[in-house]
Amino acid sequence: MEEKKVLEIKHYSKSYAEGKKAADDVSITVMAGDIVGFIGHNGAGKSTTIRAVVGVLDFTEGEIFIDGHSVKDEAIECKKVTAYIPDNPDLYENLTGIQYLNFVADVFNIDVVSREERIKKYADLFEITDSLGDLISSYSHGMKQKVAIISALIHEPKLLVLDEPFVGLDPKASFTLKEIMHEMCKRGTAIFFSTHVLDVAEKLCNKVVIIKHGKIIASGTMDELTEGHSLEEVFLEAYGDE
Amino acid sequence: MNNFLLLKTLLLSTSKRNIYKYSKDKKKRSKIIGAYIGMFFLYAMLMGYCVLMCVGYAKMGMLDSVPVLCALIVSIMAFILTMLKTNGYLFNFKEYDMLMALPFEARTVAGCKFLYMYLKSLAAQFSMSVAMLIGYAICAKPGIITYVYWIMLSLFLPVIPMLMASFIGFLFAKISAGFKFKNAVQTVLTFILCIICFSIRYIIEAFVENDQVADILEKSSQATEKTASIYLPAKWFSEAVLKDSLSDVFLLMGVSILLFAVIFYIVGGSYRQINSALKSHTASKNYKMTTLKKHSVENAIAFKEFKRMTGSTIYLTNAAFGEVLVTLLGVITLIIGFDKIVSVVTQGAPFDASIIQPAIPFVVYFFVGMVATTACTPSLEGKNRWILSSLPINEKTIAHGKMLFNMYLTVPFMTFSILCLCISAKVPVIDSLLYLIEGFVMCAFSTTWGYVCGIKHMRLDWENEVEVVKQSSAVVLYMFPNMFAGMIIGALTVILGMMFNHCLITLILIILIALLAFICYRASMRMVSKK
Repeated sequence: MEEKKVLEIKHYSKSYAEGKKAADDVSITVMAGDIVGFIGHNGAGKSTTIRAVVGVLDFTEGEIFIDGHSVKDEAIECKKVTAYIPDNPDLYENLTGIQYLNFVADVFNIDVVSREERIKKYADLFEITDSLGDLISSYSHGMKQKVAIISALIHEPKLLVLDEPFVGLDPKASFTLKEIMHEMCKRGTAIFFSTHVLDVAEKLCNKVVIIKHGKIIASGTMDELTEGHSLEEVFLEAYGDE
Repeated sequence: MNNFLLLKTLLLSTSKRNIYKYSKDKKKRSKIIGAYIGMFFLYAMLMGYCVLMCVGYAKMGMLDSVPVLCALIVSIMAFILTMLKTNGYLFNFKEYDMLMALPFEARTVAGCKFLYMYLKSLAAQFSMSVAMLIGYAICAKPGIITYVYWIMLSLFLPVIPMLMASFIGFLFAKISAGFKFKNAVQTVLTFILCIICFSIRYIIEAFVENDQVADILEKSSQATEKTASIYLPAKWFSEAVLKDSLSDVFLLMGVSILLFAVIFYIVGGSYRQINSALKSHTASKNYKMTTLKKHSVENAIAFKEFKRMTGSTIYLTNAAFGEVLVTLLGVITLIIGFDKIVSVVTQGAPFDASIIQPAIPFVVYFFVGMVATTACTPSLEGKNRWILSSLPINEKTIAHGKMLFNMYLTVPFMTFSILCLCISAKVPVIDSLLYLIEGFVMCAFSTTWGYVCGIKHMRLDWENEVEVVKQSSAVVLYMFPNMFAGMIIGALTVILGMMFNHCLITLILIILIALLAFICYRASMRMVSKK
């Protein structure tokens, strides 16, 4: 596997107007082919960090590089190779599923043959091909999540960033997503995702980062961190008596 | 390329045609047809009014003022409406994360959002301008080039005021982004600006009044010309169509395009920073469990409605704007006197102010009843509708809670303003009491009629709060008949009050309006039972 840094977060901090820090000196590196789980309790700073990585949230302290490009200075270059799936995707409700996917494919300038092939492949895998002609407003939460996932895969990103991707997915879809993540990882895609489901993280990730009150309190490969214990035990120990 | 793609998708994502084409819900489809028919009649009324206004101007010998008037009306409308919706369209919109994560420049997103806002409001502004062209053409019979210039420039007329309003909205957003209570700061700033806009006519007239011109029509014409000399785009439009001046055509088009480029270069620079700040909410995490108060279910829903309103700048500025204006009216009337206010409104025409006293409740209602929260609130539940729907309370109780909130919002302001106006106008106690009761029943009517409209045209799948608060069928259906009927009945009250005992007329109106409110209440209860 090619050892290439796809995501590099260097001393990233995010402060609010009142001076409180949502993220404090966060440094994370994700290599090509890595699946990195980002775990922490509610409000620990996971989504704040993820939103900064994908260029949605402004930040002043630290630097974030994607595929060698700075998120601050070369936002477009970074976004071209990144895909983001938010925890609660707000899609255009009055477009049909296929209209939305076609829009994203247009944005990434994907040729017609490739887009048709990829949309069909993933829509079949998630079993929503028949519903793509319906308005997104008629979809369930899980179906919207599936459309958001397909839209993220259309341009075959180098970095896939997911915020709580398994919430709302049925067991079959969760399994499919995990399979897709493995497949992408083998192709050299870097995957960085937040989750509360420690079992999933333990089985899926080769690296884990634990964040508490905006600070990284533990990070490393799964083997280094767990040393024969379960991830749940490691996590609870890291969080101490909270 | 990406600019047009985004703009096209933004338009498609809120297009009724797209919903009609792909929705399988027959009810939804028939509502869309209904909305199109309603819009057709609304535009027809608006255009008819504009044509008649131009003909009236021609009859008064002021035909040459029509182009300036057209430019000013379109510009003021574009400015105020943009001011009230910039927050929801340009900043703090729902799909911000999704769009900003795609490879679009921040400037592209901001620019497309503006163009989307421009195109969505163009139909109303363009139809007004074209109607005034028809009115002008009937009387002036101009050459073909006037038609060409007028129609072409009608597309550009709203651009500069919309850009100005957007830039002010951007500055407000930038200022408020640094505060803890961002919504409150933005709302207060928007209110102040809108109040200035509403007073601008009187400010300009104060400049004109130096020579104590007695003739009201001449004063109106002077005020219009004076405004045009300050607001240059109106002058360019007028010169272009009256004198076939090509240089003014290029000036208006060129400045509009240049201003767009400059403003969105500036806005784009700090677009992400402002949105990040507006979307960030810190938690103080210092709450200590204390004794909680118990409320009735209706009051609990009303409180929830209050928090919903104060949590959204768009909703608050639209729903409470009338209340702010009417409070100002009450205070100003108390300070400078009822007669003086009437004199300002009638521009010094010889007029006995006491004869319009029976219209006091209608004047107050014009502001207080401008928007009813009940017309928007069923749709505003949006994705959160499950919260109320899953609670062990029936739809009638929910309706009562929502209605109660509108009464809590309108009745105190209505009472305060009617009392201020009555005290200032030295209205007898019995008459004042009747006006208060009349105001109260009108608030009840506004509440129940609003709920009928809100339930009838409930739409939960909106993309942006502006679609519900400003552009929904429910709001249009509520607002226009309510406003026109209020004005007509108010005028009739004054006329009949001169012929009959005005207390008796007020009493009859109280009974009639109360009856209407009751009918609307029953209708709304029937409708929620079916839901």
